[in-house]
Amino acid sequence: MFSAKAKFILAVLLVVPFSARPSRAQTHSNMDADSAAIKQCVAAWEDAWNRHDAHATAMAYVEDGDFSSTTGIPSHGWKELEAHYNEIFTTFLKDAHRTDTVKSIRFLGPDTASVDIDWQMTGARTRDGKDAPNRKGLLTWIVTKHNGQWMITIYHESVF
Amino acid sequence: MNSGLLKFALAGLLFLTFSAASSRAQGTSNRDADTAAIKQTVAAFQDTWNTHDAHALAMKYVEDGDFSSVKGEDSHGRKQLEDHYATVFGTFLKNAHTTDTVRSIRFLGPDTASVDIDWLVNEPSAPGGVLRKGLLTWVVTKRNGQWMIMIYHEQSF
Repeated sequence: MFSAKAKFILAVLLVVPFSARPSRAQTHSNMDADSAAIKQCVAAWEDAWNRHDAHATAMAYVEDGDFSSTTGIPSHGWKELEAHYNEIFTTFLKDAHRTDTVKSIRFLGPDTASVDIDWQMTGARTRDGKDAPNRKGLLTWIVTKHNGQWMITIYHESVF
Repeated sequence: MNSGLLKFALAGLLFLTFSAASSRAQGTSNRDADTAAIKQTVAAFQDTWNTHDAHALAMKYVEDGDFSSVKGEDSHGRKQLEDHYATVFGTFLKNAHTTDTVRSIRFLGPDTASVDIDWLVNEPSAPGGVLRKGLLTWVVTKRNGQWMIMIYHEQSF
């Protein structure tokens, strides 16, 4: 009949094609945990932003993360992101405080999700230093999970 | 006897093992084709928008697609999407014309991508003829070889 070696090869080959499946099934049961972790990621980012810590705010992104401002001006990667946050925290947003509330999460895969976040801001100034009206709008993020940690891959923001 | 059967079983299992791997690799080599196809989807959306056909426009989304307006007002699923477009084309966008230009595409997986689109809506009675100018940010997904809108956000600036 089949030799021990042939049986072993058969066993290995049977396992390989199907080993990808449980991780997908697991995703469903982990969705609640992932939703909670994504909310944590948003809260931690809000906190870093409110401390005006440009480095920590940038490190919430993946290394090649993409930011786009309310006027569609992009920053790409940690270096540009930190420079962007540094600039706004030392100028027109130096006394600003933000509140971010997760509105909805839509999973695009086990490790990818789209997140809509209502945002409000007080204490902003105009570019020439005068008090600016309070601002509000929507943040729309694509977040991805890296080593168990949800991070920002793409950040868009709108104001209304 | 069994060596023929064994070889057959091995060949079958090897095929199963590597066909999964090659379909993953193919995702990367097809990126140029996918980029072109996504641009086609955007162009078709723009052309359909300009015919003010609410039904055809809703069909550019996956069945449970999500739309969010410049004010963050949501429409979910084809019925709500079609109602939304019928309302706007029956009212303030009755004479509007859009121009959509793909700015960047970032793939999130073989069948998912984020697309930034510069967006301009012209309307004869608006100041300077420009009603809206801004950015559309979409998540698109490939279904049966066709790229469709899964999530639509828009911002005006």
